[in-house]
Amino acid sequence: MNLLNFSRRNALALALLAGLPAVHSLAATDTPTRGGTLVLGSTQALRHVNGAVQSGIATAVPSTQIFASPLRFDDKWNAQPYLAEKWSLAADGKSLTLNLRKGAVFHDGKPITSEDVAFSIMAIKANHPFTTMMGPVEKVETPDPYTAIIRMSAPHPAIVLAMSPALCPILPKHIYGDGTDLKVHPRNSTDVVGSGPFRLTEFKAGQRLVLERFDKFFLAGKPYLDKIIVNINPDSNSLLLGLERGEIQMIPYATNSTELKRVAANPALNLTNKGFDGIGAINWLAFNTAKKPLNDVNVRKAIAMTIDKKFISKALHGGFSQPADGPIVAGSPFAIPDLITYPLDLKKAAEMLDAAGYKAGADGERFKLTIDYLPGQDEQQKNVAEYIRAQLKKVGVMVDVRASADFPAWAKRMATHDFDLSMDVVFNWGDPIIGVHRTYLSTNIRPIVWTNTQSYNNPKVDELLNTAGGLLDPTKRKAYYATFQKIVTDELPIHFINNTPYHTASSKKVMNVPTTVWGPASPYDEVYLK
Amino acid sequence: MNASDQPEGPWAEALRMFARNPSAIAGMLMLSVVLLVTLAGPWLVGADPFEIIAAPMTPPFSDEAILGTDYLGRDVLTTLVYGGRATLLVGAVAALLSVSIGITLGALAGYYGGRVDAVLMRVTEFFQVLPALLFAMVVVTLFSPTLLTITLAIGIVSWTGTARLTRAEFMKYRNLEFVRAERAIGASHARILWRVILPNALPPLIVSATLAIGSAILFEAGLSFLGLGDQNRMSWGLMIGASRQYVLSCWWAVAFPGAAIFVTVLAVSLIGDGLNDALNPKLRER
Amino acid sequence: MLKLVASRLVQGLALVLAVVVLNFVLVHAAPGDPVETIAGASGGMDEKLQAELRAQYGLDRPLPVQLGIYLGKVARGDLGYSYFFNLPVSSLIGERVPATLALVLTSVLAAFLTGTTLGVLSSRRPNGALSQTINVLSLVGFSAPVFWLGMLLVILLASVFPVFPVSGMRNIASDGRGVADVIDVLYHLVLPAFTLGLVYLAQYSRLSRAAMLDVLGADYIRTARAKGLSERKVFYKHALRNAVLPVVTILGLQFGNVLAGAIVVETVFNWPGLGRLAYESVLRRDYPTILGVLLFSSVVVIVMNQLTDLCYRLIDPRIKTT
Repeated sequence: MNLLNFSRRNALALALLAGLPAVHSLAATDTPTRGGTLVLGSTQALRHVNGAVQSGIATAVPSTQIFASPLRFDDKWNAQPYLAEKWSLAADGKSLTLNLRKGAVFHDGKPITSEDVAFSIMAIKANHPFTTMMGPVEKVETPDPYTAIIRMSAPHPAIVLAMSPALCPILPKHIYGDGTDLKVHPRNSTDVVGSGPFRLTEFKAGQRLVLERFDKFFLAGKPYLDKIIVNINPDSNSLLLGLERGEIQMIPYATNSTELKRVAANPALNLTNKGFDGIGAINWLAFNTAKKPLNDVNVRKAIAMTIDKKFISKALHGGFSQPADGPIVAGSPFAIPDLITYPLDLKKAAEMLDAAGYKAGADGERFKLTIDYLPGQDEQQKNVAEYIRAQLKKVGVMVDVRASADFPAWAKRMATHDFDLSMDVVFNWGDPIIGVHRTYLSTNIRPIVWTNTQSYNNPKVDELLNTAGGLLDPTKRKAYYATFQKIVTDELPIHFINNTPYHTASSKKVMNVPTTVWGPASPYDEVYLK
Repeated sequence: MNASDQPEGPWAEALRMFARNPSAIAGMLMLSVVLLVTLAGPWLVGADPFEIIAAPMTPPFSDEAILGTDYLGRDVLTTLVYGGRATLLVGAVAALLSVSIGITLGALAGYYGGRVDAVLMRVTEFFQVLPALLFAMVVVTLFSPTLLTITLAIGIVSWTGTARLTRAEFMKYRNLEFVRAERAIGASHARILWRVILPNALPPLIVSATLAIGSAILFEAGLSFLGLGDQNRMSWGLMIGASRQYVLSCWWAVAFPGAAIFVTVLAVSLIGDGLNDALNPKLRER
Repeated sequence: MLKLVASRLVQGLALVLAVVVLNFVLVHAAPGDPVETIAGASGGMDEKLQAELRAQYGLDRPLPVQLGIYLGKVARGDLGYSYFFNLPVSSLIGERVPATLALVLTSVLAAFLTGTTLGVLSSRRPNGALSQTINVLSLVGFSAPVFWLGMLLVILLASVFPVFPVSGMRNIASDGRGVADVIDVLYHLVLPAFTLGLVYLAQYSRLSRAAMLDVLGADYIRTARAKGLSERKVFYKHALRNAVLPVVTILGLQFGNVLAGAIVVETVFNWPGLGRLAYESVLRRDYPTILGVLLFSSVVVIVMNQLTDLCYRLIDPRIKTT
């Protein structure tokens, strides 16, 4: 217990409490208190707050406060009403009808209608980086101001999930429909008119954002918070200190094991790893299967066998991450338990390399490889890469860790397939159609980062994924995805290492910390401060 | 006065003055230690600085690692010993580069004067106006951080001080008697510049060169700290930058490499100071 | 006089132009481009969208054309829009300048005053104990890496003994107004200014010591002594006045180094200034912002150089025009 971290405020509170008679413990049914400012800490600078044209968790956090979406999700992947009171997916899966609630208004007072929903969905289709999300959407019909019917060219099971706050912000057509390219629209960070529980009142680029309660939010009585301040500080250490001192109340997406340990040990703070199944982040080792010797699956398997995932999770991640064995995160309804794994076995790895024809030379060296990693996430990326280097050396594979000074340098290497091995972290984004297919479809081998940069080509897998992408019945889909996972873990275009251990660290004063499948990338309309 | 009482030459005198200066001697000793550790150390220690030898963040003075381990479990002592090489190499070569450029341009400007001087002075001013660190960062980022690009970047932005100094010196010397005599007997410009004036102008330039090494080391450390060092070579600045996130739990991974840089630069500065005192005639009267 | 100012103005402008062109060429000539950053930052972007963005930013035009357009804009005071934030570069810079200014002015001035005092004192008895101590101490400040000092200070005075804030310029939730805010900023300013100031302190103390020693050896000082003036008068009235001149000159010229020192300190302390903006923009390949900051800082340096030069001439009429 670190007495030096005890701020005077804490001491005062403690003194007051000590003088009070024993009070009942606060039950979950306690009435939320209205008011207060929630200060969030974030290490990533964000470009703007329009989640319709920008993916990523940094943007999603403020975007989901500023913009509402047709639906929202609970912690069991069930859709809940939000802007849409009712919704129904047609039996053939080719249309989704949304019945919007009446009386909802934008921050400038104008009503939210189906026109805005139609505009937003088509804008997302045209501009959002996730092309598969609204891929089959052809048009959105608006028979009346409160009904929107999304018409798709083929059954698209992901469409319901695509209505989430993080993926489908509803933009005001009267502001954004002026013909300016949405990606560079000036109203993305200044004078933002949104549809959600909070308005953007300050945007200091790279420093902080201030959001204030929107009094006419369509859920009466909410949000409870007066203000949310997002404080941007690239140094996660300082954010932690701020949390310990009470200056910051919540740090979503914390992954650093040292920090997580400190939070866990602090009685005034809460730590939860719930709320991250939606984004489904996997840390993995990608192989460039188009290059020798990685084109040989046995070489890839041998490499996999030099990696001790348990050590990585325990020693490198302080026990906060879980080993990942497949392309779909464990928390997804489509995950299966029995996947092919590659337990640590240096001897077998050496034998496999011998058998593959890569015998060690006189100096003990078989061949050289380079490994890249995504900069900026050392514990998940760089450290693992260096660990892999040390391990591969033991079987005679000499690895050169190539650092990229910044993201564009790394992205370019991946995009141009100028790599042998690379660490990467990729999100599932809920439905495999959105975030999983892109990595394994042979039609997605393109010169862009976060596509099938591994040059993996298996027509059977293409067929499985494309079929699963068009079926509505989740049980049937699961069967296809099960086969898919088995094949991928056998052919190993990627060796999965661990689930990125995202956690939300918060002060015990923060109640109703969002832990639905989308976690912190959801509206905080129910969050309040004790 | 007989032959044995001949006044000693200026270099011998300087050497004697240097040897009498306690802080200069201290500097030499410190630098020797650093060089010894850096050059011979890797052989003695033998290990791979990138290898994980113990649990991450073991505190110093423990059994496994006398200076502790960093956030990955690598031995701080080993990385310290290996890190010196990259740091000193970059420091020395970058200083050499900047001093060479500076002396060449300064000499030409000071000696020829007129048009040549005007043009060269504009160039010097241009590089002086450029924000050095920022420019170096841009160069290093754009061309990928390797020891080569870092050395070049540092060398290119650091020469203006030396150039000005050299120019001032050469301007002073070009009108002196013995130089004019050389011209009169038909010596070439090149000979006069490099064989006649330069040896005389050397003292302040040596001091400047020594200090240039110190500032080049600090510059490299700064770039590495900001994440723009050569990631494949262990250097002290790199260690500090990499361990920065964990400084509150693992201060030794930051404190020791920083101390190493400090000691090295201090040693070089003390030597430079000592040289300045030894070679600077004005101070001899005091 | 007017002619001098005018010619210096032209020289200054030519320099600025050269800086802009060089940086522009450099920044565009190397591998990797901002659309890729934005693509990555957006979560991946297909070729069509990337091509749209490239056209949007004019990145698909030939380099000389882009340069011409940029120069034209700069001439009108338009520094373009940041690729990353899509906000005007001039407003991004404008937002950050006060923070850097506060940091730099405080540290440089404090360092100048303290350092000069120490240096002058140590020149009284140049071989005495005090002088040697001050000399070595200033060498210490000079040799320690700024970021290392900063981090150690943070550990000591913001974590182990939480006397000062760890980072930032203000309390996170503050409104940024009123006297309370000024005090808040000053409170946050202590550690970063101290860290940055230590380096300058070392420089000024050594410089002023050397300058004083230089001046004390001059003829007119010997004359003053011969005339029978007290040592005190000689020292403070005559020597000091003349020794201050080169130090003040350096003070003016220091502004060239300002941005460099600020980058590192601002990064360690998360100070929301120009240095940090520059650093982050380099990592993001945010060309317009990088160019804007380079341009701005070059202009500041040039202006300061010219001002210092003019002041120097005004003060000391013996200096001839080069």
